Amino acid sequence: MKQISELNLPDDIRYSEDHEWARREGDAVRVGISDYAQDQLGDITFVGLPNVGDSFNQKEEFGTVESTKAVSELFMPVGGEVLAVNEALVESPGLVNEDPYGAGWILLVKSHNPDEMNSLMTKDDYVKRLKGTE
Amino acid sequence: MVAGRKDEEWLLFELPVTDYMEAWNLQRALVAGIVCGRIHHNVILSLQHSSVFTLGRSSGRESLRVSENVLEKSGIPLVQTERGGSITFHGPGQLVVYPIINLEAFGIRVGEYVYRLEEAMIRTAADWNISAERNRLNAGVWVGRNKLGSVGLTIRHGISFHGLALNISNSLQAFSWINPCGLNGVGVTSIERELSRDVSFHTARRHMMRHIEEVFDVRLVRTDMAELQNVLDGSPSKGACVTVSGGGKR
Repeated sequence: MKQISELNLPDDIRYSEDHEWARREGDAVRVGISDYAQDQLGDITFVGLPNVGDSFNQKEEFGTVESTKAVSELFMPVGGEVLAVNEALVESPGLVNEDPYGAGWILLVKSHNPDEMNSLMTKDDYVKRLKGTE
Repeated sequence: MVAGRKDEEWLLFELPVTDYMEAWNLQRALVAGIVCGRIHHNVILSLQHSSVFTLGRSSGRESLRVSENVLEKSGIPLVQTERGGSITFHGPGQLVVYPIINLEAFGIRVGEYVYRLEEAMIRTAADWNISAERNRLNAGVWVGRNKLGSVGLTIRHGISFHGLALNISNSLQAFSWINPCGLNGVGVTSIERELSRDVSFHTARRHMMRHIEEVFDVRLVRTDMAELQNVLDGSPSKGACVTVSGGGKR
């Protein structure tokens, strides 16, 4: 298991309690799972994606990532309508492990409520939360 | 982060032969209780199910080798669940263990957790001098090309539920109706089949609980059903929990 100091935790994104991240991109928000989450799960073998056009509230379940015999549920860091899903994950789910903030992104959403971004943790808050579970 | 501390206690509830839906609802209630901070212990449910086929989250009916008609006539229900893994069968005489564990707080990765569940099954088989092993083909434990025990998990808000199933004295006939774990051309076996003699389910359960204590380095505290109800009801002073996830619809 990676030590907290070894985790790649960019400071230009926000983090949720359930280890999803959200990055504002113009009017849209890109969503994925954190380096901590991918490390915790191990080799990801399948990503269960929603459909483009689906709408979810903040904290609502939107998909799954599966590793060895384990299905881990994903929850929306911010509510919104799914504008795009990362189709590359269908063939290459391991991208989530290799590049969780880049090629391993999961969703692009049109946020319902821009204020929800502010309810998420900054990098510093997230590090404190991770240290709390140590 | 060192997983397991000898002084850590997990609550152990030993249930009688339990209907799948009942045990499933119980698991989800325990997960919700841990998530909202009403339950402060990890919990082990140890039980046998009445006969049932279950599907994993992303597995379909393609692993059924008989028609749904045949299934219906047999009276054995088929349940779609949210766990990992593919189709399997549970029935009386099979030891089912559902650990409801906060993996994050325990400081253990999912792969390591699966490895330790397998280890508990391997050690239980070894108590009868049966040499079970892991197989790269598929998680779970095997005796040669025959599957002895399975693992399937769901992780919700950092809490793992579902768990393992080890064939002790159960009938293996219903497995011939499916491709276990979605695999073709593999067989299943049980402790009894390997030994060609009767085996006590309760002895197997006792061995398994001891090995769970060893592999996780924790102490299991046997707790009765009334206490389980208290755990689920929580302290009235803390008020009702808000259910965070939409689980239960699948």
